[in-house]
Amino acid sequence: MRTEPYLSETSVQAPLLSCEAVEKRYGEFRPALMGLNLAIGRGEFVVVQGPAGCGKSVLLRLLAGLEAPSAGAIKIAGEDLARMRPRALAQLRRSMGILPPGDSLLGRRSVLENVALASWVAGSAFEEGMRRARAALELVGLDVERYGAASGAELASGQRQCAALARALVNRPALLLLDDLLCPLDEAIAARVLQVLDQFSTAGVTVVAAMRSGVAPTNSSSTPWPARARTLQLVDGKLVQ
Amino acid sequence: MTYTTSRASAFSEALRRTFGRPVEFGLVVGASATLLAALALVTLTLWRALPLEQPPWMRPQALVFAAGAQGEIDLAALQSALRHVAMVASADFLARDAALSELAQRKSLSAIGLTDLRPNPLPDAFLVRFVAGAQPEAVETAVAEMRKIKNVESVEYQAELYRRMALLSQLLARICLLLAAPLGASLIIGVSLAAILWVRIDQDEVRVLHLLGADPPVMRRPYVYAGAMSLLLAAALAWWMVTAAGGWLEPLINSAAQQYALRWTPAALPIWAGALFCLGASLFGALLGSLAARAAIRR
Repeated sequence: MRTEPYLSETSVQAPLLSCEAVEKRYGEFRPALMGLNLAIGRGEFVVVQGPAGCGKSVLLRLLAGLEAPSAGAIKIAGEDLARMRPRALAQLRRSMGILPPGDSLLGRRSVLENVALASWVAGSAFEEGMRRARAALELVGLDVERYGAASGAELASGQRQCAALARALVNRPALLLLDDLLCPLDEAIAARVLQVLDQFSTAGVTVVAAMRSGVAPTNSSSTPWPARARTLQLVDGKLVQ
Repeated sequence: MTYTTSRASAFSEALRRTFGRPVEFGLVVGASATLLAALALVTLTLWRALPLEQPPWMRPQALVFAAGAQGEIDLAALQSALRHVAMVASADFLARDAALSELAQRKSLSAIGLTDLRPNPLPDAFLVRFVAGAQPEAVETAVAEMRKIKNVESVEYQAELYRRMALLSQLLARICLLLAAPLGASLIIGVSLAAILWVRIDQDEVRVLHLLGADPPVMRRPYVYAGAMSLLLAAALAWWMVTAAGGWLEPLINSAAQQYALRWTPAALPIWAGALFCLGASLFGALLGSLAARAAIRR
């Protein structure tokens, strides 16, 4: 059985992630995604923008292997997600950092535990997980001494988003899938978060972030994406380059 | 509170879930135990009463009187002819002298001077029993056939009584069948619901663990253990209830079965049956926990 993370094995030249004629349907309604072709290389910073309901979250869920496409293929590190067994998919997700939309912190665990959970799931010992969690929280600018022991419910929405981002970063993943990243963050925190993500991307981490068009960080009129970011527009389930 | 993939960690999480809320736990285990006890009682009753058959007094029978006095006819030939009629299970000879002495022993009859009658006024007769489950129409046809046999004086058969009894037993069987299926299903659903409600999947935690790449079997493990433990305790309690109820009702049921000539096998409940029952319930609880967790992961 495979024990090493999948994503460390790809060559630098091959796309880390590719979508080939991907379609996703829910029942008989209009498809959420249609004929989507996409290739993302290692270390790329990709921003998927579009109005609400255009399929951004669906795309990220498909990329994370949380759902299967109705047609087409999604390959990560050359492996077709649809052909992977649930355990292999779980192992693949341990190599990713995923930020789901909305509040995803667990109320009955402290902020530190919430972040360390990702590390524990990946097999770290208790102390190692806590050490990594502290480092990740400091990285996103959340005061560990002040908020580490608090429960997720005690934080403001922006702080919760930072803690969830810290959880996505805690295992130093090879692929970051970030949904609604900047939504509840104010300008200063958003700038810091994007700076951190830019550093990760420069270091070879692939970043795919989804963002509603026209939505900027709180108190900001512009979206300060890194200059190297490639922006894709998603409209009605189709990519508009 | 950490998270590890070990079985010991899953077990302690299951213990925390199971005994963390003692009052709720007591209620759920009590309710599950009652339902399981009802299931066990129905099963045990069927096991002891099977194979279900009509008691002798419910089976149709006829009295066939032989024509002529003793020695004038071949009783063996008549008995053989009766036995060959369709639907007949047995034809037993009732000698006229034996019948007379039995009648004479009844005080009320001796008072009216029956024993003083000479010669014996009673005819030789055969008690004909029909096969169990024979339809009244078929029995009536057989009775008509018997009346045509040579040396048969008359046949006494209470057609109306057996028609009513057949109708009643048919009705009873259908009502039992009709009630058994939904009753059994609702008992199983009740136990399942109680166990699932008890296991109470932490939807948010399962969703986040799934997102973080936890192995599906590892995620299911605490719920599997909690389900198994809950139903194991419920089954042990149910078995105690069944044993207690059995001790209380057994003498009554035994004497009723004897009185009405019903098939009933009195037997003490073997320990292995209790162990098997608890093991089965525990496995069922584990399966329910696993299914509930699997559904939560897919959601």
